Amino acid sequence: MVKEERVEEMAPTTKVLIQREIASSVHGRWFLAYATVFLLSGVLMVTFGMGDAAIHGYRGFARAFAAMTHLALLFVPLMALFPAVASLAEERDRGGLEFLLAQPVTFGEVFFSKWVGVGGAVTLALTLGFGTAGSVALLRGVPFGLVATLYLFVLLLAWVFVSIGFLLSVTTSSRSRATTVGILVWLTLVALGTLGLMIAFIRWGVPRPVLSVWTFANPIEAFRIGIVTLLDPDFSLLGPVGVMLLERLGTIGTALLAGSSLVLWILIPTFVAWKIFAKKL
Amino acid sequence: MIKVKGLSKRFRGHDVLANIDLDIARGERVAVLGLNGAGKTTLIRCLLGLTDCDGSIEVEGHDVLIDERAARKHLGYVPQKPPHFDGLTNEFIEMFSRLRGIDPRAVEQHLERLGLSPEEHGEKALKELSGGMMQKLLLALALGSEVGVLLLDEPTANLDPRARKEFLRALKEVDDNTTIIAATHRFTDVQALAERIIVLDRGKVAFDGTKSDLLGRVGAEAVLWISVPANLRSDAAERLAKRFERDAVTMNGQAVGIRIDSAQRSDAIGELRDAGIPIENMWTDAPALHEILEPIIGHGERREG
Repeated sequence: MVKEERVEEMAPTTKVLIQREIASSVHGRWFLAYATVFLLSGVLMVTFGMGDAAIHGYRGFARAFAAMTHLALLFVPLMALFPAVASLAEERDRGGLEFLLAQPVTFGEVFFSKWVGVGGAVTLALTLGFGTAGSVALLRGVPFGLVATLYLFVLLLAWVFVSIGFLLSVTTSSRSRATTVGILVWLTLVALGTLGLMIAFIRWGVPRPVLSVWTFANPIEAFRIGIVTLLDPDFSLLGPVGVMLLERLGTIGTALLAGSSLVLWILIPTFVAWKIFAKKL
Repeated sequence: MIKVKGLSKRFRGHDVLANIDLDIARGERVAVLGLNGAGKTTLIRCLLGLTDCDGSIEVEGHDVLIDERAARKHLGYVPQKPPHFDGLTNEFIEMFSRLRGIDPRAVEQHLERLGLSPEEHGEKALKELSGGMMQKLLLALALGSEVGVLLLDEPTANLDPRARKEFLRALKEVDDNTTIIAATHRFTDVQALAERIIVLDRGKVAFDGTKSDLLGRVGAEAVLWISVPANLRSDAAERLAKRFERDAVTMNGQAVGIRIDSAQRSDAIGELRDAGIPIENMWTDAPALHEILEPIIGHGERREG
């Protein structure tokens, strides 16, 4: 009985907090900017993809869509990172978090409502942008499953960086520091991705099994391998690790492994961030 | 109403709060005084359950450290720094009323009582409100929630003298059943709203008693300033020094000041009137905080922060 009352009591609070978080993210300038970038890039990709599609059929179109998902590698981490840091670290810096937590709410409600709210707003921005390209891709005959899986991968990448943003927010002393470290983390992951793997493979002769771990320990590389595997497993794009995994695990197995890596990258930083946040301000 | 037992908080090897016991009854007006780093803000944050600490804190029978939500339902908070909120005042009221499970109209009614118009100010962006308006809004939110305890952390620190006066007046009108606990370093705030004073020194309770007990113990008295014509100022100072203690009398370019307790004020005024010295104006200055605290906490090394 007591438990039931508690659940009933919690629901409206969480709803209020999530609504507020989404509303404040959607009203932010970054939301409109990122949605526009994705919308425009989607339209461009679709336009150029049309010519390719005339030659290669839906596969040509899929390539255009793939180019857009590659664009996601550059934009999605930052578009997820900045609002995540603003939601927690900036609000803490400005005194809003303390006042919010002084209300009849729990630390868990505030933390997870913010996480869901920021992630939800980023999902909305991505859906607006990707929706256009995805819809045209579907009309052009690209299988629904493929479009949906690619969209899912982009969302997973976004949520990875929302989680990293939350972790940095609770482990650094200010918003500016969290943002700087976040950008450095992103740059490091990008550098350790394709380029790092090539250097490790060619110059240092690191064995492929080690490189596989290296690949899937890096969410950006896991994302890249995942979408290339799904779209057009071109050996030159996949790289030595991708090729090995594709040969051993097949397309679905490799994509699942990449997806699992992204899911872990969402869960682990979120869990650690929550544990730190729960120790209180 | 509030029971604090063995409250301790360590931070970076320092005891920010050390084994504090407090019992605060319903309707008490309590000022928590102390120098920077004494632990005032930490105490308020512990009472709100915002920071981890050892010991136990009960608010209306709810342990803050265990059931923070239930305890916070009884707690209203007015911080020193107003919270940042992107949006209109109405939206702020709406959101926080929903979080507190109250009707926003209850907050608006209190806002009106505090001299702010929900129609006019409600449509303003929250960041356009002045510091005084913002503090009144936070007070209205707490009062609209019918909280049993109001926690204020340096509530007048960022207000101009007029806004400070208005805010203190609003606090005085809070109903007698509401407990007020205010951390402050302004003795004028203490005089305006508190009967009980808790002095914190390096995380420990150095004094817990009434305002008159404190003033009696430390011997710090307000300064009565009497403005007289410039050519009679020295004469007035001399007469007051003869009647009272020479050390108690001071002078500046505007008036003669005398440090005496309130019962002796009429004697001082009578002394000058009997001597035919016209009095132009009079006012009192509260003793400075350090004058009040020094006899209690000594001159030891202080931590800043």
